[in-house]
Amino acid sequence: MILPPPPDRRSFVTSLATASALAWSGLWSSAAVAQSGRSGRNLPAEQFVQVEGQNMFSVLSDRSLGDAAKQAAFRRLIDRVADLQRISGFVLGKYARAISPAQRQQFNTVFRTYVQGLYQTYLANFRGDQLRVTGSTARSPTDTIVNTVIDGAADGRALPVAWRVLGSPGSFKVVDVQASGVWLAITLQQDFVSTIDNARGDIGVLIARLQSGD
Amino acid sequence: MSRLNDPNAQARPASRSAVLPVALTVGVIVAVLAVLPAWSHAPAAGDMTAVSAPADPWAGFNRRAFKFNAFLDRAVIGPVARVYKRVTPAPVRKGVGNIVSNLREPSTAINGLVQGRPKLTIRAVARFVANSTVGVLGIFDVAGRAGLEREHADFGQTLGRYGVSNGPYLYLPVVGPTTLRDGLGGVVNTLIDPISLATGGPATDFAAGRVVVRGVDARADADEALRTINEDSTDPYATTRSAYLQHRAAVVRESTGEIEALPDFDEPVNVPPSPDEFSPIPPADAPTPLVQGPGS
Repeated sequence: MILPPPPDRRSFVTSLATASALAWSGLWSSAAVAQSGRSGRNLPAEQFVQVEGQNMFSVLSDRSLGDAAKQAAFRRLIDRVADLQRISGFVLGKYARAISPAQRQQFNTVFRTYVQGLYQTYLANFRGDQLRVTGSTARSPTDTIVNTVIDGAADGRALPVAWRVLGSPGSFKVVDVQASGVWLAITLQQDFVSTIDNARGDIGVLIARLQSGD
Repeated sequence: MSRLNDPNAQARPASRSAVLPVALTVGVIVAVLAVLPAWSHAPAAGDMTAVSAPADPWAGFNRRAFKFNAFLDRAVIGPVARVYKRVTPAPVRKGVGNIVSNLREPSTAINGLVQGRPKLTIRAVARFVANSTVGVLGIFDVAGRAGLEREHADFGQTLGRYGVSNGPYLYLPVVGPTTLRDGLGGVVNTLIDPISLATGGPATDFAAGRVVVRGVDARADADEALRTINEDSTDPYATTRSAYLQHRAAVVRESTGEIEALPDFDEPVNVPPSPDEFSPIPPADAPTPLVQGPGS
């Protein structure tokens, strides 16, 4: 997929360095948490999404990377930023308790590859390259919705995207992403549960389909 | 001859004989929709429980319509939309999209009024006036650039604002995904649309052209999303249903200001089975009940 060149792209390395610096700095986060309590926002979570979300779009729009390098860089990012273990349990819905440990292990492996590719396609479809945080809603101390806008798409439209972040400063993880009111993980859950239902509860059918890329 | 082609037609005010059937139709549809809350399969939280099992009692019919539309899309609609996208420069496509969108502003203004959202109505009127004049018949979204952001409203959303639930999910041939509420709301929306009324109603060449242009434009916009669904979903029907219902729930929340109820990621979601989910897909020749009562 050809992506438009970013007008002011921060390099991936710079972004990673920024993220590391933020992770090591406890000063800003304690002040920000105190402010979050007053405003209903979660500023550390906002900062996390600003940095890591921007990293994702920077990788996707980086024309200096070949397809394989881009895919590898993006997958490393997803591994670090998203809570794949938690997402893989969630997307199984009512079948999460029914699955055997062996199947669960098999599913987790297949799902990881699948969702890494899916996130890449999903975010690349936005065709933007600049992420702006516009606010957040702290649903609980460890569950925050961070609202962002993706700028830089060829048609000039700014696209609102929300990120669901669990955890606290230093351990934040993304568990879901929403655009146009549609949450990715919730949609995956309904997709997967329907597939298993239609296979009369056989989770192996879902695993086989994910493996074969059907 | 359509009314649009009749040079005298546009100057004529709508006669009482034309208004009465419209009013009756709208009245009947609203009366039907009034019983939807009792039909809902959703819990008391209504649209907010995004991962509860969707009310899809007509899944057999819906899945067949989905297959039909997939065929139609592969054979006709998709190629037309892709050719349109390929041969039309992006600024022209954007202009066409703006025109289509601008023609929805009067309807948004009316729905804003019915929803008790005067700011939305004023903004829609201001946008329509500015974009239709300075924006050259809506080609340029000058109002948007001036800070008057686009926000559409429709009658399905209006019903949702007043507590009418989705009702059963419905996937129609050619039309695509909807619900009983949104489908009937769409009919009302067409009947009360000022642009439609001013140009002779929904049976004119203008109205047909508007539908086609809007459809092709929307299909071209959705090309990548549809490709993602078809290539990456394990059950594209369920994915489409989920995405549509979530999107519409978000549209209704825009009008109510409610905060979305989200599932807990720590625990697997405990959802009751829907008729669709515990039975295999019915064979194509199986009879499909078109109407089912509450609780079916």
